[in-house]
Amino acid sequence: MKPTFRTIHLFSILAVLAVGVFVVAVLSGNITWFSTEPPLEFNPGMDHQFKAIPQSSNSFFANRSSLREPLTGTVARNVDVYTLGQGDIDAAEIENVNPGLPKTEFVAARGQNRFNVFCSPCHNYDGKGESRVAVRGQWAGIPDLTRPETQALSDARIFHIVSAGQNLMPSYADKISTVDRWAIVYYLRMLQGVESMPSTSSSPTAGRASTGRSNLN
Amino acid sequence: MFSRKFDVGFKQAVAGIGAVAGIVFLIGYFGVRNEVLDVGYRPEQPVPFSHKLHAGDLQVSCQYCHGGAEVSAHSPVPTTQTCMNCHTLVKAESPKLKLVRESYETGNPLEWVRIHKVPDYVHFNHSRHIRAQIDCKSCHGPIEQMGVVSQAKPLTMGWCLDCHRKPEDHIVGARPISGIFTGKLHDMKHLKDSTYMYTPIKAQLGTPVALTEPAFGQWTTALPAHQVDGIPHPKVAGLGPENCSACHY
Repeated sequence: MKPTFRTIHLFSILAVLAVGVFVVAVLSGNITWFSTEPPLEFNPGMDHQFKAIPQSSNSFFANRSSLREPLTGTVARNVDVYTLGQGDIDAAEIENVNPGLPKTEFVAARGQNRFNVFCSPCHNYDGKGESRVAVRGQWAGIPDLTRPETQALSDARIFHIVSAGQNLMPSYADKISTVDRWAIVYYLRMLQGVESMPSTSSSPTAGRASTGRSNLN
Repeated sequence: MFSRKFDVGFKQAVAGIGAVAGIVFLIGYFGVRNEVLDVGYRPEQPVPFSHKLHAGDLQVSCQYCHGGAEVSAHSPVPTTQTCMNCHTLVKAESPKLKLVRESYETGNPLEWVRIHKVPDYVHFNHSRHIRAQIDCKSCHGPIEQMGVVSQAKPLTMGWCLDCHRKPEDHIVGARPISGIFTGKLHDMKHLKDSTYMYTPIKAQLGTPVALTEPAFGQWTTALPAHQVDGIPHPKVAGLGPENCSACHY
């Protein structure tokens, strides 16, 4: 059947309406229009200043990097550099001393948080090694951190393994601060069942002057 | 007075100019906004890194790579060494990772294309927001669902102030995937739930306490007594500041 003028007219009205709705949806931000091009800027003003911002390129320097290389032998301030190598096991037993972290829920929570961020990709949240990466990559070599052999290691030795790495595991000394690594050791002892979980029922405001507000609730 | 032909032509011209002016107004008024121009910016990166695979499927926390966000204003793009923690073993020969291996050998950084950027006269501090347990998703959208990352929020000043004025309406509380430290031990059963929030912002603020703006200069908060040196402690929830110098200094 040949389309009549009336149906063509109806279709064109519908098409115009559809385009109109689409345009309105894009303009109102309800439909995201993806683009690989940098956004248009009609009034850049002082949006892009000629200054060094972190991790940016900078045409002032020859290698186009804002970040300057430190001079050879520079020592960072307020950063604990872990100097022991993977093999210095005996030195690690002596030199790695817990800085006196209290065994509180707060410290355990920090250990749990850092363990879940940095350790769990391989060791899994429970430390047994059946992690997402292990399953997907079909890795069999990730040890169970809760087995008796690992339980028998000293705190200083576990701290050493986290800091210097072992076998395929790289050093995490540059990613996790010293205090956080000790908190991880404390939390790992909980996963192993060596340390008991601190009571979570106690109020975090207990034992200090009440300021009327708690940041943890 | 005028001929019929001129009359019709005049009407058509007025209608045409009106239509063009209407379209220009529509695009000019609604189109020249970050919601339209900036949102959806999805540049091609030198290495086809998938956040959907790493953060979504493998549940690698945001802070594994962007860990500096907890302690510094700038949320750093990870060093190549961070990639090589795993990729010396996983997919070690993949052609997609050729640039990563080259960068690791030469020491020259990979030139990732920056997506989220506030103007240079705005100072956004990541650590302050993360320690207030505001989830990454609040400003960056559901990154763990994005194969290629695009800008999800307009990052305009009005959009910032929406949250500073009514945080409970806009902010996503800390989720397990983000690796935000809440100061509490959590049950592990929620770890794989990307919608679970450790600290739903309403609970974090607490229902009975009405948020009031402190007097100017009183934005400091008391340190919790259980603070431990070296652990970035979570901050007291509250309204974000509204004075200009909070962000423009």
